Amino acid sequence: MSKTREFKRRIRSVDNTRQITRTMEMVATSKLKRCSDRVYAARPYGAALEEIVRALYDPELAGRFPLMRRPDEIGTVAILLLTANRGLAGAFNVNLIRKAREVLDESRAQGRHVELHVVGKKGISFFRFQGEEMASRDTSLTDYPSPEDAERLVSGLQERFETGELDQVYVVGSRFNSPLSTPPEAREILPIRPPEGERTPPENYLLSPSGDLILARLLPLYIRNQVFQALLETAAAEQGARRVAMKNATDNASEMLDELKLSYNRVRQAQITQEIAEIVGGAAAFE
Amino acid sequence: MAAASMKLRLVSPVTTVFEGETVGIVAPAWDGQVGVLPGHAPMITLLGGGALFVELPSGGTEEFFVNRGVLKVEDDEVVILTEYADREAPADFQTSQAWLDPAELEDVSTPGNPLV
Repeated sequence: MSKTREFKRRIRSVDNTRQITRTMEMVATSKLKRCSDRVYAARPYGAALEEIVRALYDPELAGRFPLMRRPDEIGTVAILLLTANRGLAGAFNVNLIRKAREVLDESRAQGRHVELHVVGKKGISFFRFQGEEMASRDTSLTDYPSPEDAERLVSGLQERFETGELDQVYVVGSRFNSPLSTPPEAREILPIRPPEGERTPPENYLLSPSGDLILARLLPLYIRNQVFQALLETAAAEQGARRVAMKNATDNASEMLDELKLSYNRVRQAQITQEIAEIVGGAAAFE
Repeated sequence: MAAASMKLRLVSPVTTVFEGETVGIVAPAWDGQVGVLPGHAPMITLLGGGALFVELPSGGTEEFFVNRGVLKVEDDEVVILTEYADREAPADFQTSQAWLDPAELEDVSTPGNPLV
């Protein structure tokens, strides 16, 4: 009797869990759709910006822009790590943290000073646990980051790069190749790499007000956009990872439920059989 | 020689606001309005804030509001990159003079630049 009750209790519990994971899967699926739409919608801006910067870029100009300076010796490296505020997304956060750790250890091995800027509760609690010092922490991002968020995150780093306090800045986030392929990636956003590819010399354009003034306005946008792109792709990757994790959890729960139901029925049948045997045995004893 | 129409791409950081054929554009450049017709010489100019008029081949005119950015014309392809692009001005809109520092503009001196 108590055995069947125990099975019933477990079946109910697994069933509840399955209901929750299935709901989370559906929520993640719809958020993923919205996030990936945002990733695709933002790409033309990046492409157009790159096209214009490429048209204006002149190797001679590079020396005049602090954002493009390439220090001979790299003293201080900043890493901006993007993670999620929430877990239950499989290896998503762990992968990003591992990537950041890699960059961190590599830079340290080269004798560079590294400062860590962490976005998202998961990254923060990991590095707090590790006793790593964090230069800044941010947990205010939503599932749908805006260009202003990117601006806020990067403007301080950008200023400090210009004054020479920082010599290199990385953003660690996910690359959103497709909903199923979102590898972690460290992008070097500063110093700015001149866009590659063929270019028309800037003299061929009518420039207003002037080439370097335009470039001076566009370079910060270029950096901000790279961070924004990383934010969007990481947000989409988070939803993708959560959907997969929750789908697996739902499938596992279903499988477990099947097994439990089978065992439950077996026990129930055994019990009935035993009861019948007892009755028959009892009746036989009277004859 | 000039083609009858140009291609226009109007993009903001979050999305492509307009993409299609146009026969003429009036855009709010940093120092006043600039008109672009098919066959325009290659040009790159900074934008301020204001109304952007796009004339459609079918005869109508589309109006957008843009704020800060850059416009590039080359081979009858116009790319407008802007921080803000919508049908209407945002409620808290202020002219974006801060985007360009007047002191900096005074020493604009690119030799051979006919626009200066």
